[in-house]
Amino acid sequence: MSDEEREKMLDLLCDKFVYGLSEEESQKLDDLGFDPGEAVSIERTIAALGLVDLDAESPMPASLHEKLLRGADEHFKAESVEVREIVLSDGPRVPWFGWLGWAAAAVASIALAVTLFTSKGPENRAALPGTPPPTPEERLDPAQQRQKLIESDAQVIMAQWGETGGVSGDVVWSDAKQAGYMRVKGLAKNDVSKETYQLWIFDETQSEKTPIDGGVFDINTDGEVIVPIDAKLKVKNPGAFAITIEKPGGVVVSTRGRVAALAPVKPAKV
Amino acid sequence: MGEGILNKIAAGDKTAVEECLKKYGGLVWSLARRMLRNSDDAEDAVQDIFLDVWKNSGKFDASQSSETTFIAMIARRRLIDRIRFTSRRISADALDEMMSEPVDRADKKMQTSLEANDAVRALDSLRPEQQQVLQLSIVQGLSHQEISDRTGMPLGTVKTHARRGILQAREFLGLGTLDSSKEVHA
Repeated sequence: MSDEEREKMLDLLCDKFVYGLSEEESQKLDDLGFDPGEAVSIERTIAALGLVDLDAESPMPASLHEKLLRGADEHFKAESVEVREIVLSDGPRVPWFGWLGWAAAAVASIALAVTLFTSKGPENRAALPGTPPPTPEERLDPAQQRQKLIESDAQVIMAQWGETGGVSGDVVWSDAKQAGYMRVKGLAKNDVSKETYQLWIFDETQSEKTPIDGGVFDINTDGEVIVPIDAKLKVKNPGAFAITIEKPGGVVVSTRGRVAALAPVKPAKV
Repeated sequence: MGEGILNKIAAGDKTAVEECLKKYGGLVWSLARRMLRNSDDAEDAVQDIFLDVWKNSGKFDASQSSETTFIAMIARRRLIDRIRFTSRRISADALDEMMSEPVDRADKKMQTSLEANDAVRALDSLRPEQQQVLQLSIVQGLSHQEISDRTGMPLGTVKTHARRGILQAREFLGLGTLDSSKEVHA
């Protein structure tokens, strides 16, 4: 890397952690390449400088404090603190090319990644760490919960998994409820010691390079499964969903190396 | 003390949540209010940030950073995402106060954490122009163009001051270039 390129790289890294980068700038940074350790050291520096003159003794509103306690309680109920690997949002050096690119990757990888299962069993359910257990008054099976969501929101959207590789099913999602379910059939059982499935949500709030993590899940049964979506960020007007195969625990940014299924949202409402 | 809070949360100790909010709630809330325009946005952001903190508490490594810095990094990421999405600029209500000379902190109130004190010393070690640019960009959230417009510095000079200032502050803080294989990814 020339001095000029290094200077540009450092400018972009600094901008990234002060302002964030546009897609074009992110691509430029990817093209230049950088040491992730250097990136994090710059991010830490900026985070530290951002503490200057911060009135950290100012109390937050009591109502917000209560919301945070409730949120934490729900989180602890949902999982015994799932430890997830968080990577820098543009850490992987594998270029992304939007969710349409995932379709091609799905075709390429599905023969290796997916074994077809044809038996039916709507009672089957994938194990999804991070999914809260039902409360006593909500002891509905996943199919009933899905149906309840559909009936509760006229604006629920649906996306069909592509038939490529024999994976079928659909995704329903409610922006209003910030909840959704995916039905999927045809995904192979995964060896949980080696890999997991992970759902990704492409919506209008996120770059196509960094879709929203929709939760990890394991397929431990044949036939159709229904999995509650565990979106890690607020989702708005999703345009597509994708399932990748990742290392146990999942990742925050997928290299998109193994795409198992893709579901573009169609205009029609449920 | 607070350095074990995240580890306790990672271990599933619910009582540490209250401790975490007590110790870091004000920091995150203040950061959110400073970087976002209104309290509603700030409240939403704070909820997102702490959800991230709960989820990622297991990745905290005290040998790599302090809890304060770890949480501040998570907070800034979420806030920057939110700002970029809404295309809103960071609040610059106190802009006029910032525009004259680099801040003399001798008469400022005590910083609220050891990390903040270190950051102040790092900032104070820089050239006045670098201090001013970093103060306006990182603390006040002005874009490079806005800083250029306000200060009369050429845009390229602003960028240079920003880059060099951050790198020198990094050296001052002893952060340097880290071994990425050991990095805590927040």
